[in-house]
Parts: sequence; C-alpha cells; structure tokens
Amino acid sequence: MRRSILAISMLAAAAALPGAAAADVLDRIKERGTLVVGVKTDYKPFGFRDPSGAIIGIEPDMAAEVAKKLGVKLELVSVVSANRMEFLKQGKIDLMIATMSDKPERRKVVQVIEPLYYSDAVNVLLSDKVKVTKWEQLKGAKLCGTTGAFYNKDVASQYGTDIISFDGSEKPLIALKQGNCIGYLYDQTFIAGKLLDDEWKQGYHMPLPGIMETPWAIAVAPGEDRFAKMLSDMTKAWMKSGQIIALEKKWGVKPTDYSERMHKEYKGS
Amino acid sequence: MKVLPVILRPAPAPWRAPVLDRRHGLFLALGLVLAVGAAEAQGAAAAHPSVLATLWRWTPLLMEGFVFNIAISLLAMAIGTVMGVLLGLGQVAPSAALRRVAWFLTQFFRNAPWLVLLFFAMFLLPFEVRVGGVTIPLPGWLKATIGFSLPVMANTAEIVRGAIQSIPFGQWEAAESLAFSRRRTLWMIILPQCVKRMLPPWMNLYSLVTMATVLASVVGVTEMLTLVSEVHAAEGGRAELLAPLYGYALICFFLYCYPIGRLTVHLERRFQVRI
Repeated sequence: MRRSILAISMLAAAAALPGAAAADVLDRIKERGTLVVGVKTDYKPFGFRDPSGAIIGIEPDMAAEVAKKLGVKLELVSVVSANRMEFLKQGKIDLMIATMSDKPERRKVVQVIEPLYYSDAVNVLLSDKVKVTKWEQLKGAKLCGTTGAFYNKDVASQYGTDIISFDGSEKPLIALKQGNCIGYLYDQTFIAGKLLDDEWKQGYHMPLPGIMETPWAIAVAPGEDRFAKMLSDMTKAWMKSGQIIALEKKWGVKPTDYSERMHKEYKGS
Repeated sequence: MKVLPVILRPAPAPWRAPVLDRRHGLFLALGLVLAVGAAEAQGAAAAHPSVLATLWRWTPLLMEGFVFNIAISLLAMAIGTVMGVLLGLGQVAPSAALRRVAWFLTQFFRNAPWLVLLFFAMFLLPFEVRVGGVTIPLPGWLKATIGFSLPVMANTAEIVRGAIQSIPFGQWEAAESLAFSRRRTLWMIILPQCVKRMLPPWMNLYSLVTMATVLASVVGVTEMLTLVSEVHAAEGGRAELLAPLYGYALICFFLYCYPIGRLTVHLERRFQVRI
C-alpha cells in the first residue's frame, strides 16, 4: 500500500515537471502582468536614479519599450555586476539590460541577444584646445590613463602616445584639469557620462571615433528562445529606426560609431 | 553631612533622552562644515549647485534608505532575539544533547564573520518560495535581514546564558527547597532577574547591528549606503562630493546610535550589582 502511494506520488511529480518547464518566461510575464528588468543604477546616463528614487536612463527606456510591446507593466530592479547574471538564472529578473560586455564565458551562463545592442569603446577626453580628428594626430602627445586598463599599452604602441597612469578614474581627471596631460584615455561610455556634467561640459570634448569596441549584450535566462527571438527582432527594429541613436541624443550622449554603423546597416533591410 | 568611608557610588542621575548637548552639536556641525566647505572650495570654479543644496535635494531619497536600514535592524533584532533566547535556554537545558547542539550553533554563528553569513543568506536562500500553490517572494532585504539575525541570535544566546549563570546558584537551591519545579524556577525567579542584566549588552548588540546593516550594500540591497553611492554617480561622480555624502550617512547613523549607547551606559550604571 505504502509503496503504491509512493509510486503514484512519484508519477504525479514526474507528470507535473514537464508541465512546469513548458511555461516559458513570456507566459510567466503575461500571467504576472509585469516585466521585471535588471538595470544599473550607478551608471549615468545608462541607468541611474533621480532624486525621487526612480531609475532612469537609456537602458530603463529600452526596458520600457519591451514592456510596452508585451503590454505589461514594467518593474526595474537595481543590479550590480556581481549579481546580474545570478538574478537572471534564478528568475528574479526576466531580462537584463545592464551595461554587460559580451564575453565568451558569460555566454555559457546566460543567453545573449544578437545583434548586440550597444558598444563601449576606448576614447579620449580632450581639452577643447586640442583639435584633432584622427588618432594618429596624437603622436607624441601626453595622455592620462588609468592603471590596469588593458588598452593603455596598445594605444601607446599603436599611436605613439605617452601615457601617464594613475589609480582609479578620479586622479587622472584631476591631472587633466591641472594640465599634466592633454587628455584622458578611458572607456567611451564613462567619458560620455562625464561630458554631461557641467564641470566638463565646458572646455572639454571627445572628438575622436572610439577604437577597440567592446559590445554590450542584453541577456535572458538560458533556454528562453521565444523571448530571445522577440528581443532580437526588437533590437533589429531599434537599429533600423535609429531608436538607439535617438535615446543617446535624448540623454545627451554623442551617438557612438557602433550605433550609427548598425543604424546604417539595418536601415536598408 | 558626614561622608562614610565606604565605597557607596552616588545614585546616577536619571537618564535624559537628548544626551546630545551643545558640545556634540558643535562637533557634528564643524565636521559637516569642514567637509562641505572643502567641497565648495573645490567645486567653486565650476557652475555647480552648492554641496548643501545637493545634499538637500537628495535628502528624501537618502532618508528613505536610512529608514530602511533601521527597519532591517529592528526586524533582524526581533527575529534574532526570539531565536537567541531559545538557543540560550538550550545551553542551560538539563539534556546534555540539547546543550551540546545549542552550544555548537551558538559558537558557530558567533564566530562567523557577519559579511560571510550575509553572503550565505543572500545566495543560498531562493528569491521566492512556493508553499502549496502560493508563491511567497523573498526580496533581497528580507534575505539580508535573515542573514543579520543569525549573528544576533548567537550573541543573544550568549547574553542569555551568561545572565542565567550569573544568578547565584543559591537561588536555584532556595527555589527547589520551596518546591518550585525547574521550569517555574527558571521563569518566575531566574529570568526576571536576568532581564535587567541582559538589557545593556542586548542594546549594545542592537547598536552594532544597526551599524552593520550598511554591509547589505555589498550584496545589492538598496539601503542608505547603496543610495549614497548611486547619488554620487547621479551627480556625475564628482570627487568633492564624496566626503559630504558619506559624512551625511555617518551623521545619520551617529545621531541614531549615540543616544542608544548613552542609554546603555546609563542602564549599566543603574543595574550595577553592588556587593
């Protein structure tokens, strides 16, 4: 008797399992009526807080578009680099748009949406007095840099610049202000954020095209193919309509080469 | 009046709630003025709103975060105290097996770094639990609260055990001679005397927990310290804002914890066992 109960309950459990697995994240979002998206809250202008505590920026705007398309409410969850993939795997967030660089080891953990929606690059924050249009013109110039940035050496050898390294991102900026160097070699998205600040808006600019692009990826939990397909189509549509460039402009960022290139590529399609 | 040559401490003055007098206010104000002043001097060249205006603008959000810290500390303290009392009683239980288990749990959680316990709570607990057909979400802050309540539990257990054992053994024997059962002795004679001995260290523990709640920022809970760094980012990450912003958080915690500390000292003096 006891054995048969056990067998029946095991059968029931086995029957219940595939049923639970079949409902994918899209069904869960619809059932819940809310799309939960993980975004950054300390990365101006991609994701940051306003004084009311609301999370705003380029990525929250993109998340809002996805929610609109699904016809559900949007809930933004603050994530940091250390927990964003974990949250996705756990199902705490349905979607992650959180300035994540695309890396092979990350693709093993989460499902990356192609085409990649955005790209960071290496660029230089230059004093307005420096009028250049090409990296080659920086030959022999003194640039401030951050110790440990992987591109310092490459830029120095490729373009013949002289790089003075400092710890962190504050010290090189101070050195730039004091005139120890003519520019600050760093991540383009960081420089774009700095240029939003009144302190740097006047007297500084970023005239060069970005080099050594590191594309960013939107991600969903592994196996969510239906949702991934939908997001991939949405990303293509954004690139086609120039939506990403429009968002960059809305939040005061100079459109990146990557965004413009993608727009050109998909415009015709 | 003749003073007796015996060490009789004068009765302590009654405790006054606002123990922050003008001196403390002066120090705090001076600290903030220094931080703000230095920041103003650095930022003067640029066309920024003043540092004070910036702090003021973000105050509602930062206060929301601070209230959240307080809520986490209160809840962790409540959960930890209930579990800790049980564990403490377990340590003086007649059953040797129970005593050993309680001792082990207490020592384990008392000697583990708080941050490690916090990480365990964050990453081992699921983000939601299904009980029957109902899904109960376990948000990050709740998991952090559980993480904090573990060291609270262990420390409270030690406080309870220590207090029980500090009551002279003669009281147990006297109670036994009056035909009190063990349980009644414990609840009606021993524990009531323990309460006042336990109160000061327990309040001390509360202060520590409150200050430790900022650790939750490490595991991604949106409490005050997390908000401070997010505000810093939203303000363009200006270096001169660092000191005023973190100083602001420091003052909030100080203003909350200092009176608790003074009250603890006062209670300790009042409850001091004079022999």
